[in-house]
Amino acid sequence: MALLVRTDLEMSMGKVAVQCAHAAVDCSLQARKSIPQIFEMWRNTGSRKICLSAIDDVDIMYWKEKCEEAGLVHALVRDAGKTEIPPNTITVLGVGPAYKASLNELFSQLELYGVD
Amino acid sequence: MGLRSFLHRLTAPKIGGMVEARPIKLALVINHSLGMKKGKIAAQVGHASVQTLLSAGSSTPKMVDAWLAQGQKKVCLKGVDEQHLTELQAKARQLKLHTSKTIDAGHTQIPKGSFTVLAIGPSYEDDIDAITGELPLL
Repeated sequence: MALLVRTDLEMSMGKVAVQCAHAAVDCSLQARKSIPQIFEMWRNTGSRKICLSAIDDVDIMYWKEKCEEAGLVHALVRDAGKTEIPPNTITVLGVGPAYKASLNELFSQLELYGVD
Repeated sequence: MGLRSFLHRLTAPKIGGMVEARPIKLALVINHSLGMKKGKIAAQVGHASVQTLLSAGSSTPKMVDAWLAQGQKKVCLKGVDEQHLTELQAKARQLKLHTSKTIDAGHTQIPKGSFTVLAIGPSYEDDIDAITGELPLL
């Protein structure tokens, strides 16, 4: 599962974590129904997740379209805006679970998020 | 525990029966002593949330459904270290709250087997606050 985080917003560490968790839960709910075997396989192999850097909302929407074309499970998170940022702001795109190789190929140009 | 939540506990129906229209949330307490980076924390909190969805989904399904229907409120808090997280988990269990422990596989950044996140809930906000109310936001 890949979590694409917008890097142009001023979000605290906790805020980012919560937004990523929303995306992970939404993707899991969908995947459990639509691709139960891949979902189980992913659960049994450590539920691997990776956070990647997206530039802004336009970039996120670009990747969302790519996911639709590729037929991948995905979930767009919009913040309710009760804290820190305005309501309905797009924050994170969750993608998968899917085979690691297909995600790596699709997102090869994206950098890891928050490693420093 | 406040008097109100104490009285509530005496009179409230058991979870798994009716769920009341009170705010429900999931608290995610991270182990700050590990010095995890931003992306790592986000992934660990994601693990904890999905794990909670599945385990609480079978033990307290109505509470989980109500939590999802309310917009799956989550709050990320700063815990001191492994011992602190273990103490909080014991307290939460005494109050019969669902807890879930996330242990890292240790592929990146930190040693294998590190206790990274404690999830408490989803449950009623005031019950969760009785345990995590003092902790700073992350």
